[in-house]
Amino acid sequence: MREQLEQLKSGALQAIAASSSVEALQDIRINLLGRKGELTALMKGLGTLDAAERPVVGQLVNSVRDEIESALVSALESAQQNVIAARLQTERIDTSLPGRRAQKGTKHPVSLVIEEICSIFAGLGFSVAEGPEIEHDWYNFEALNFPPEHPARDMQDTFFVENSLLLRTHTSPVQIRTMLKQKPPVRIIAPGTVYRCDSDATHSPMFHQIEGLMVDSKVTFGDLKGILTVFTNQLFGQKTGVRLRPSYFPFTEPSAEVDIACVICGGKGCRVCKNSGWLEILGAGMVDPEVYRHVQYDAENISGFAFGMGIERIAMLKYGISDMRLLFENDVRFLRQF
Amino acid sequence: MIVTYNWLKEFVDFEANPDELAALLTMLGLEVESMEKLGDGLDDVVVALVEEKRQHPNADKLSLCRVNNGTEVLDVVCGAQNFKQGDTVVLAQTGAILPGDFKIKRSKIRGEESCGMLCSDKELGLAEESAGIIVLTPGIAPLGTPVFTALGLKDTIFEIGLTPNRSDCLSLIGIARDIAAKLDIKINYPSISLVEGPEKTDAVIGVTIKDPELCPRYAARYISGCTISPSPQWLVKRLAAIGIRSINNVVDVTNLIMMELGQPLHAFDCLRLSGKRIVVRAAEEGETFTTLDNQQRTLTAADLVICDAERPVALAGVMGGLNSEIEASTTSILLESAFFKPAAIRKTAKRHGLHTESSHRFERGIDIDGVVRALDRAASLIVELAGGVLAEEAIDQYPGKIERTPITFRPEKANELIGIDLDRNVILDILSRLECQITQNNDGSAGVLPPSYRIDIEREIDLIEEIARLNGYDKIPATMPVARVVSDRPTRHQEIEKQLRNLLVNCGMTEVINFSFTAPDAAGKLLLSDSDPRRFAIKLANPLVDEQSVMKTTLLPGLLETTARNINFRSMDLKLFEIRRVYLPREGEDMPREPLCIVGAVTGSRDGDGWSRPNEPVDFFDVKGIVESLLDFLDVGGISWVTDNLDPYYHPGKSCRILAGRDCIGSVGELHPSVQKNFALEKPVFCFELDFEKLVKLSRTKKTIGAPSRFPDSSRDIAMLVPEELAAVKITDCIKAVKSKEVEQVQIFDVYRGKGVPDGFKSIAVRIRYRSIERTLAEEEIVALHKEIVTNLVDKLQVTLR
Ligand SMILES: [Zn+2]
Repeated sequence: MREQLEQLKSGALQAIAASSSVEALQDIRINLLGRKGELTALMKGLGTLDAAERPVVGQLVNSVRDEIESALVSALESAQQNVIAARLQTERIDTSLPGRRAQKGTKHPVSLVIEEICSIFAGLGFSVAEGPEIEHDWYNFEALNFPPEHPARDMQDTFFVENSLLLRTHTSPVQIRTMLKQKPPVRIIAPGTVYRCDSDATHSPMFHQIEGLMVDSKVTFGDLKGILTVFTNQLFGQKTGVRLRPSYFPFTEPSAEVDIACVICGGKGCRVCKNSGWLEILGAGMVDPEVYRHVQYDAENISGFAFGMGIERIAMLKYGISDMRLLFENDVRFLRQF
Repeated sequence: MIVTYNWLKEFVDFEANPDELAALLTMLGLEVESMEKLGDGLDDVVVALVEEKRQHPNADKLSLCRVNNGTEVLDVVCGAQNFKQGDTVVLAQTGAILPGDFKIKRSKIRGEESCGMLCSDKELGLAEESAGIIVLTPGIAPLGTPVFTALGLKDTIFEIGLTPNRSDCLSLIGIARDIAAKLDIKINYPSISLVEGPEKTDAVIGVTIKDPELCPRYAARYISGCTISPSPQWLVKRLAAIGIRSINNVVDVTNLIMMELGQPLHAFDCLRLSGKRIVVRAAEEGETFTTLDNQQRTLTAADLVICDAERPVALAGVMGGLNSEIEASTTSILLESAFFKPAAIRKTAKRHGLHTESSHRFERGIDIDGVVRALDRAASLIVELAGGVLAEEAIDQYPGKIERTPITFRPEKANELIGIDLDRNVILDILSRLECQITQNNDGSAGVLPPSYRIDIEREIDLIEEIARLNGYDKIPATMPVARVVSDRPTRHQEIEKQLRNLLVNCGMTEVINFSFTAPDAAGKLLLSDSDPRRFAIKLANPLVDEQSVMKTTLLPGLLETTARNINFRSMDLKLFEIRRVYLPREGEDMPREPLCIVGAVTGSRDGDGWSRPNEPVDFFDVKGIVESLLDFLDVGGISWVTDNLDPYYHPGKSCRILAGRDCIGSVGELHPSVQKNFALEKPVFCFELDFEKLVKLSRTKKTIGAPSRFPDSSRDIAMLVPEELAAVKITDCIKAVKSKEVEQVQIFDVYRGKGVPDGFKSIAVRIRYRSIERTLAEEEIVALHKEIVTNLVDKLQVTLR
């Protein structure tokens, strides 16, 4: 019996050492240790032994089995390693081929800029207001202190509809509609489409603006400067220089053009900024008392500011677009870059 | 408005160089839009003396010169003939770069050395043509002086973009006044030295204002015995610098004074004025008159005309008449200086399409108190340049004189609104620098009377603006408002619009923005019937072009045009969408409705990349899938897809309307082949249209979220033969009709036609997943439930099981 065991052991270890495939090793396991395996058969023979010999041989059987088992485990381990190594040797893909991806969609740059500006002003406590694009002369001009026949109307070439309706030339009528609807405090921005009867490389008959309005009890021109500085720094970068210079709009006084340090040349002077180092990005000012009169606000006890900017211009500066017409040609080769 | 540095400097003695002056003007609100530096970079072009001139040995037409530039004597070859030894000339030395990027280099011309070039006016950009080189007055300047300096031509021309309120700055003096006020220095007003003859003006000419409303002031002077001749060079050059062509000495003076003082003037040939009379009146309706530009104009009663005893001689404030203009033979002049009502001039100029320097100033408003000063200044200059005798005492009809009252001004209000803290004295000093007259009121406020030329200053706020402007916007500290919180969440409308845009982009779609206006026949291309409301678009009264003359009633044509244009550029696979307003007239209301619409167009191949996935063309279900995701996202309930009452631009067999309950919220489908052709599209295009306003209303905001089941599922398949006409949705509806909570999912996983399926039938395979939320389902339960479903299908829909 002992001899048989020794023989079995050495035979098994030899067979294990000679086998390199996982399948062969598993066969060996079944042949030796399986239900009908050789070692299992031997173990069944233990019963025929003397009661005295039984535990000794039993121990021996166990140790043989353990030895075979551990040899099998480590052989299997290395066989499996070999299998993996072999796979890694042969399995190859061309990773330079393009990936399988979902088609990318894009928002129009005008939408992107409107969303960005709205979210900056949302952070400053402004909510969004809207108004009609086909507008009354009264909201678009008169209530904003453009009397009929006033030369300031020449600043805005207007598309007319009929019955004193027109295509709004700016988003400013939303100021009037908002103030007629609510009493101060007011803090709104109004993005929207506007129209001017003008078309060339820098003018489009349709474009977009964002209007801002804040009216409260003690708002100052300095506050306007503060809000616009925060805004331009968030939109164009923390260190963007901002400059306000006197200008004129019928519905604000004092009025200002707001320039930022040229984002193209950094203020040194280039073609885009006409060598001035500054880029005009928005118009602003303190709401004119005449406007308050039209919406029945008490100009003595409240004050506020308004500002407006062209979205296309900001998009062009942000993305380095040189021709405004590109924004409305809707060529997907252009749009898919955003 | 064009001004020059040297000219401004005659009025204010500032120290700023041209760049500094440009910055100063811009920060005063007088924006310098461009500047041109004359003679800039031409310092190597200098005054020089021809010490010796002899024939070039190898060329008949050239001469060899020895030219002294003050430091050395150089050899220069020259081709011009109009000079001699001893002449003072202009030498462009080596290294100089002349206009047109012409660089002067040392060179050999026909074997002779030449170290520079003698220049003509043309070569220096001073004239269009020139006959020969410039020969200067001897001793004009030391040799070696830059010629632009020697000729006094070194100057900077500023183009200033004026805002419409600053009519006072439509003159050199106006801009000079602002500079003087800003820098707190004195302004030198131009001098007027009148030498008058014995004859009284009103003895020779008469002035009658018949319409003082439109002409509140009219002043005139009479000069006799003058001689019309070309203007002296200084005057020609001064006008040329600001872009005005010289005509003759008298007309040039009127233009010069207009630019200098902002008062338009007009000179009549007095001998051609019938009766030597001026009558200012409204034109008669239909009266004709020929203006200086030789255009005959038909006038209306709203036009103001200047007449002599018989007929109009000028369209007031806009342009003079051909019948009384100054000619070479003119010897006596009636000089007009007047104030006309701005709105009237504006209307006349607009009606006749005649925008002149004169009308530009009158319609913005001139200084009514400066009318006579400008008249006198021009008269004295005319006498100086054209000779003649000035009659004594100007005629000055001023029936419209208005007493101006001071504005009540509170300096502390200025501080409060601007957000600064200036001393009361500093604030009032700014106003007095602006030539305001200031008095103290008993209540502590000030009475401020602005100068007559500042017609834009009428209210306290106008004065506050002047304080902010003169003190400097750069000196205002940037602060954050101390304000009550008013912000609320974005409205549902805006929130949903943004989310839908995100969703469509995530579906791989590209957003486009087309113009809101379109061509009148856009609706016709969609085969819309004549009574379709989308045929009735709002028309623009003054469109730029016919293709942009009506407001859109549907976004689809624009999107299809965009699709076609992109395909022309070989972008074949397109998924485009647009979220914009349309403009729909409303019965009985003047304001139209402007609802927001969503449209999409998809064409080309799905998402094939050519190597790993086949390039399959997109179809109806790609577009329907997008719409389904969108409706699912908004949680719009009760959706059904119906094929009746389709819009005519859809393919009748491959399109449907989308209903939410009974309400139509949009449509989806393949474009009708004829419409496809109308838009020159070669391949099928699949579209969807959704009514944004309805979606917002139907979108459910509250969702109840259930926990998933933790028990095992069991799936059963049913394959059946059904008639081709049977809509698949009937099968899924029939299955769901058992209303069992244990039916977790019903999925159509195969639709098959072909081998084994008879003609007129299709095979549909459905997988049903059974699962309970509260327990493990017993096999018997599932079998029973499945049997019930199968029986239903067979009984109600007569399907044949396979
Ligand atoms: Zn720049």
